[in-house]
Amino acid sequence: MADLKNTATEVTPVVDSKTMSRRQFMTGVGGVGIGAIVGGLLGGALLLPDKVLAIQASGGYLLVDTKKCAGCTSCMMACSLTHHGETNMSLSRIQITQDPWGKFPDDITISQCRQCPYPSCVEACPTGAMHIDAKTGVRTVDEAKCVGCERCVNACPFTPSRALWNFEEKHAQKCDLCEGAKFWDEVGGPDGKRACEEVCPMGAIKFTKELPVQSADGYETDLRVGTVWKSLGFEGAPESGGHLG
Amino acid sequence: MAISKGYTGKILKVDLTTGTFDEISTEKYQSWGGGHGIGSAIFFDLCTDKTIKGTDPGNVVTLMTSPLSGTLAPSVAGRTEVQGIGIQAYPIGWFTRSNFGGRFSTQLKFAGWDGIVLTGKSPKQVWLNIINGDVKLQDAKDLWGLNTRETQEEIWARVEPSKKDSGWANMGTSRDAGRTTQHPAVLTSGPNAEKYGPMAALVHDAGNGAGQGGFGGVFASKNLKAISVVGTGGVSIADPDALMKARLWANDYSFAGHHDKPAEYVGLVAFASTPGRPLSTIQDNPEGTKSRPQGCVGCIRNCRGRTDTGQGNESQCVDFFWYDHHDVIANGHVTDASPRAADAIQLAGVNAFAVEAATLWIEQLYNKGIMGKGKEIDSNLPFDKFGSGEWAEAFINSIVTQTDIGKELCKGVAQAAEKWGRLAMDTTSGILPLQEWGLPHHYDARTEVEWGYGSLMGERDINEHDFNWSVYWTPTINGLFGLEPPVSAKRLSEIFAGKTAPYNDPMMINYSDEGIYSEAMAKTVAWHRHYTRFFKQSMLFCDWAWADFVNPYGPDMEGMTSIGENKFMNAVTGDDMTFEEGMEVGRRIWNIDRAVWALQGRHRDIEVFSEYSYKVGAQPGTTTYEAPYTMPVFEDNEWSFKSVAGRILDRQKVEDWKSLFFKLEGWDIKSGWPTRATLEELDLANVADELEKAGKLGASA
Repeated sequence: MADLKNTATEVTPVVDSKTMSRRQFMTGVGGVGIGAIVGGLLGGALLLPDKVLAIQASGGYLLVDTKKCAGCTSCMMACSLTHHGETNMSLSRIQITQDPWGKFPDDITISQCRQCPYPSCVEACPTGAMHIDAKTGVRTVDEAKCVGCERCVNACPFTPSRALWNFEEKHAQKCDLCEGAKFWDEVGGPDGKRACEEVCPMGAIKFTKELPVQSADGYETDLRVGTVWKSLGFEGAPESGGHLG
Repeated sequence: MAISKGYTGKILKVDLTTGTFDEISTEKYQSWGGGHGIGSAIFFDLCTDKTIKGTDPGNVVTLMTSPLSGTLAPSVAGRTEVQGIGIQAYPIGWFTRSNFGGRFSTQLKFAGWDGIVLTGKSPKQVWLNIINGDVKLQDAKDLWGLNTRETQEEIWARVEPSKKDSGWANMGTSRDAGRTTQHPAVLTSGPNAEKYGPMAALVHDAGNGAGQGGFGGVFASKNLKAISVVGTGGVSIADPDALMKARLWANDYSFAGHHDKPAEYVGLVAFASTPGRPLSTIQDNPEGTKSRPQGCVGCIRNCRGRTDTGQGNESQCVDFFWYDHHDVIANGHVTDASPRAADAIQLAGVNAFAVEAATLWIEQLYNKGIMGKGKEIDSNLPFDKFGSGEWAEAFINSIVTQTDIGKELCKGVAQAAEKWGRLAMDTTSGILPLQEWGLPHHYDARTEVEWGYGSLMGERDINEHDFNWSVYWTPTINGLFGLEPPVSAKRLSEIFAGKTAPYNDPMMINYSDEGIYSEAMAKTVAWHRHYTRFFKQSMLFCDWAWADFVNPYGPDMEGMTSIGENKFMNAVTGDDMTFEEGMEVGRRIWNIDRAVWALQGRHRDIEVFSEYSYKVGAQPGTTTYEAPYTMPVFEDNEWSFKSVAGRILDRQKVEDWKSLFFKLEGWDIKSGWPTRATLEELDLANVADELEKAGKLGASA
């Protein structure tokens, strides 16, 4: 797997994150919507018996299918537009990187926050700015509390880091599932709408409240199954050549 | 008045002669909109002698964005307009334009610039490095012979600092200098492009090319190899919520809003097309190839693709089409020859339309025994392998290395024909498909006249499909299958009439033998020139998504055009511009362009099509499209679709039509030059003054 850095921290997952499903996750901690971790002190956590600290699961997750992505980066512009009132890829909480000469499907990577069950970014924050929203479980930032240490940026186990430094407003930020999309007159969050999902013309981004099955390479997501994708010619012999114009 | 939102407010002016930089205030030129309009106005102001050749250091080249670049306006954000005196048209290299997609305009806006103006000539080979507000000219001696991919990847390596463990590249020394995960956007010419200048394109990423005009050669003539730009800023939006809502509204008009049940439409559409296969393709990639759709920044239809072989990545339309039918004829089906041919032109930075026309002609010359080993035009190209990837690559290589027939073709197709003594002969018989200004025939002036007239009244193959999808392709495809087109000819005339303000004439799509010479067709061409000059070439709405006339997802099959364009523009800028006001800006831009051409030597006497247009009907195998050309006609008081294939143009009627057109535009009928009254009405008194000084001002009616 290419982008997972050394994740050695005090965090000791109770199950192997490479194969963990929501069902296994629930079984492992014996509680609905609660993750578990030994040690550390995290916002949004509950202290359970035997010094097991339970962490509230996110209210939802963004699923992406890189094989469906067209690399238009509309999601990046929608993210920054709805959160900051400007289109700015450097402020987007979802990042698309690509190699124009690369070979499908390795030419595109979608880097979205996974709302980790064991959020290293939250754990790394010394002030509680990076925290778990008590109502929705979304891992997010209280910008007023951020002191700019960037520990969250460096703690994210993924590359590029899903926690990012807002160099214009001088605070850390990350995907909040559009709970804080103040420039969009829609309710965001797990029970609302997500700008990236709404705007993606390919349907390559979907939202789920179920903790996705994930491997080190990402969620095992196929958003093409059950759609017209195959009939459009993108499996087998694609029709992207020989056009008249 | 402060500049509207969407603009960065400044344009980078580069004096290549002195290696110095300056800023031009965008506000000074905002009335032109953006893109082409601003480019033309700046060119007019800065190019003091407009009669020079494109390779003269005095040539001023502009690369412009629009207020919509780098925003969520669908299928707009990624395009860049290139202008200057070109070197492809023959015998006069007109002041011309080209346009390319990808990420360049977006990165330029994010870097804080609305455009780039290039003046002078560098004393040594350089490339331009833009990182936000930090601009440098850097030595390009070791890049000069590299192909377009090698150049871009080398520049990436030089520009991108080592990425931190976080995966974000910091584009400066302070931690607040700005960070990005994106590669710099690089626009480059091919290897030693000055040696095949008229054929040389500018290429960005794998498949975005500005081919027309020979701007790769113009760059090289200025000793400029490439421009790299990376930005970490943003584009401020006047009404973010309105823009987001407009984008989601547009989803309803596209595949994006209909994943579960795409429209079943026999024919071709623009905005509503399915991804990765922009048209009802007649040919596939090589069997077994897998791919994804791929699009420019902010695109909603994502018309190109990337494959699991990497071959043909991001290429589109004529990038393949210049060769794929030769591939199919030779091999019975599409082989890797087609993507190899596409890659050959992309890597070399060679104009696909030019080699398409050249290849059709060369095939004829070979078949007639005129070209080949030991023949009148000696060539060692492997003609026994015509249709293979090997032939395509050898042919492109001959141009890039100026060997074999490339010794002459490197100077341009018309120029080579002149050298071989065949230009007049072969443009009379029609085997050399150059229909106007020595430029490749695209859609046929004899049948789809708005295309030909637009190209002739302008300076290049218009390559604008606004009418084309609905008036040619859809009825023609349905005709081939014996089907009734999804929209009747009468309904089509109503849709077009409703969206073509200020004319709104249902007769504008009458392609009958009488209609093509009518005043209504003059309105069609005028509307098209004005619409595209503003909305598509200045605001940079992509030709492959806009205009949106017929849309199977729209109410009664009507698309968004005349409503959608301004909805996006106003959400971004905060202005309250109407569609009609945009059309008027387009008319103003069209007039300043026409004035430049007048200064360069344009007169109605030379505005004639190549002789074959008046002598012979389309001949299979010689020009680009020989399908039946079924089009809407109004005959005997009734609308219908009818094949107009084989039609030739009547020379006197074309001349009479020109008079109608000049009168409609307010130009001098005798010369075709703009008049003072028309120019002053458009607040272009300074342009009238310059024309008058040169003796090129049209006489008042």
